[in-house]
Amino acid sequence: MKFVQVDETAIRPAPLSEASVIGWLHKNLFSSWLNALLTIISLYIIYVTVVELWSWGITNAVWTAETRRECFDISIDGACWAGVTQWLDNFFYGRYPREELWRVNLGGLMLILWMAPLWLPRVKGKIFIGLTTVFLYPFLAGYLFAGGDKGIFLQVMVSAAIVCLAANTLHSIIGMLSGRSLPEFLIRTLGKEKASDATQRNILIGLLGIAFAVVFVGQMGTTAVIVPWTKWGGLFLTLVISGIGIASALPIGIILALGRRSKLPVIRVLCITFIELFRSVPLITVLFMATTMLPLFLPEGIVLNKLVQVIIAVCLFSGCYMAETVRAGLQAVPKGQYEAAHTIGLGYFGMMSLIVMPQALKLMIPNIVGSFIGLLKDTTLVSIIGLFDILGMLRAISNDVPWRGLHVEPLLFGASLFFIICFVMSKYSRHLEAKLSAGNNH
Amino acid sequence: MADIGADNPSGHIKPKEPFDFFNDERVRSVFYQVLTACIVGWSAWYLITNTAHNLEVRGMNSGFGFLTSAAGFGTDFKLIEYVPGIGTYGRIFLVGCLNTLLVSALAIIGTTILGFIVGVLRLSNNWLVARLALAYVEIIRNTPLLMQLIFWYFSVFSLLPRVKNSLDISGGAKVMFVNNRGLYTTWPVPGDLFWLTLVAFAIALLGVFALRRWAHKRQDETGQLFPTTLVSIALVVFLPGIVYLSTGSPLGWDVPTLQGFNFAGGANLPPSFLALLIALVIYHAAHLAESVRAGILSVHKGQTEAALALGLRPHRVMVLVIIPQAMRAIVPPLISLWMNVVKNSSLAVAIGYPDLVGLFMQTSLNQAGYAVEIVGMTMAFYMVISLTISGLLNIYNRRVQLAER
Repeated sequence: MKFVQVDETAIRPAPLSEASVIGWLHKNLFSSWLNALLTIISLYIIYVTVVELWSWGITNAVWTAETRRECFDISIDGACWAGVTQWLDNFFYGRYPREELWRVNLGGLMLILWMAPLWLPRVKGKIFIGLTTVFLYPFLAGYLFAGGDKGIFLQVMVSAAIVCLAANTLHSIIGMLSGRSLPEFLIRTLGKEKASDATQRNILIGLLGIAFAVVFVGQMGTTAVIVPWTKWGGLFLTLVISGIGIASALPIGIILALGRRSKLPVIRVLCITFIELFRSVPLITVLFMATTMLPLFLPEGIVLNKLVQVIIAVCLFSGCYMAETVRAGLQAVPKGQYEAAHTIGLGYFGMMSLIVMPQALKLMIPNIVGSFIGLLKDTTLVSIIGLFDILGMLRAISNDVPWRGLHVEPLLFGASLFFIICFVMSKYSRHLEAKLSAGNNH
Repeated sequence: MADIGADNPSGHIKPKEPFDFFNDERVRSVFYQVLTACIVGWSAWYLITNTAHNLEVRGMNSGFGFLTSAAGFGTDFKLIEYVPGIGTYGRIFLVGCLNTLLVSALAIIGTTILGFIVGVLRLSNNWLVARLALAYVEIIRNTPLLMQLIFWYFSVFSLLPRVKNSLDISGGAKVMFVNNRGLYTTWPVPGDLFWLTLVAFAIALLGVFALRRWAHKRQDETGQLFPTTLVSIALVVFLPGIVYLSTGSPLGWDVPTLQGFNFAGGANLPPSFLALLIALVIYHAAHLAESVRAGILSVHKGQTEAALALGLRPHRVMVLVIIPQAMRAIVPPLISLWMNVVKNSSLAVAIGYPDLVGLFMQTSLNQAGYAVEIVGMTMAFYMVISLTISGLLNIYNRRVQLAER
């Protein structure tokens, strides 16, 4: 005996508890009396915070005034954003001469221009672009920021950087439009695609030489005004210190991590000692060490300024933290990868650079970005030893006569600035992680 | 060096290929190590001679003799006796160490409690609570600790009322006050026979320990449950309580009272201490919350379902199944977090709390010189603390890991 339903059952709408707003509220906010209580407490907290912040920061706030007293005269219980807006330049550039600010902006723009191709589709040779960013851009930017007389070495490096930047930009425009690289494009326009490889190479080298010569002659006549490092400050200084720290953290970290995992006992012990030494002490003690002990370590006559001392300390410190991140990545690469690399006849450096390190770094991207964010935040410590980085400027405003005692508003402004930078970085790292691991999910 | 390659040290296997000095792995490894050792040794020697020369040229003294000479400056917060002008630099070092340890220990306790609470709230099935916890974590983790510390110190604690209008945070009982000079609280003063109460308390704790073991054993043998928690609480409360009352309540209270321009009596914590403590706890709790959340999520869902299928109540599932497994993933990040708390407490120097860095590395170094010795001692202190914490927790970690299989 069988029962078969002949008529199709009519489609019923989802139950109210699943589909409606009330259902969602019941499920997510009021599922039990404890949850209901928590919801009400949270709502109260949000309400009080938002109302207080809104009335203090927006409705009762003062946006234009000349002094803090004037702010108080206009509104006694509101924020005094006037001070923050008047000091914006100071927060971003410190005491950098106002008529020279274009140099800082130009430096930033050039960095964006230099790095932008890394994110563009159809552009070839991204590794090369990345390497030039690390090895050539600092000379150009460094000279632009500091100015003064250039020695012959600096002249060569600056010219090379300018040529490289121009070539990079051309290369990425051509790449975006046609998918070709710059050399291919040049050879094609000259109609030499049939020529032998050697001729093509000679043509390219010749063109490069001409470009370099033109730029070199061109730059000889121009000198930028000296801006001493003591005038550097604000977010600009923070980014300079943390930028150098970030750029050098990865190479130092990779070397130390490889040393720590080396089979050679002397190298291993030295690396472990070095890493653990720096990791077990606070950054502020390393900074104090750099400013008090580095002058003693160096031979008589060589005097480093405080900025260089701080940068050395930050580089060593961040390198040691990065070493542990890289080591974790190396440990996560399966042993079979090492063995397979040896089997196909790769030596130690071939194995590491071609097989193991790319995988290790890819695995560790969130952690690497995490330590970059940490470094950016830690850079604020330089304000303790007397550099006027962003935090130094945010605090300096409360000692400025018209704005004496203005603490809350600048700090909130700085905090939001950091929040935006760090939040965007961490979100981007998640995105990158998802993008790069896409290959593993098939 | 050629001998190493030529004579096979083990002597069992003869190398089949002819010995090639430049392509032998052992020769190369020895060569690299000797090279590294030479470079490092030479750099060390170079730095040491430079330092010695520089010290001589600048007429700076060296050696640890300064530790016994008197330091001329005072400190407003100290746990041990120290008199400026009489107390030595060695004493200053101790004062600084203790101040650092005090604030770090309290911050570690606070961080651990708050971090676990927020971590659990992040996973709450209440949408609003989870979002609030997320907002807290993201805001705190994406702003620098130093900025938060300065915010707490300059924006919150300096806005507190003056001494005359102190806030009574004990709700009208007048035993705990907050003003812009810090926290003034009532402090217990033990009387004559108070040690008896302490002894009773210790005995009660031992009793609870024995009781738990006994109850556990009985449950294993007979399956009968014993109301351990209730009896334990009764034991801990009543035994010391009865002793305390029968010895005549030998505990006085030192209540802070407003005398003239300041409070007298009680215990005082300066605003810099409170700001540092709050900033450290709030900052690190946000980091711990993420580790706790990741740890709980790392326990497979099947574990919960299996435990529920066995008939355990949700509360017991959490305590007996989820948390023990989650702890395995939480303890390693917890180790580094505790170490970070100790290290980050050195930011105290920015708001003038007299911790080790502020007292010793800054003030003493400016007054006495001896840069190498002072920097070395300060770093050594942090290294010892870091190694101790990581050592202790690694032992615990090993025990937890062993429970696996």
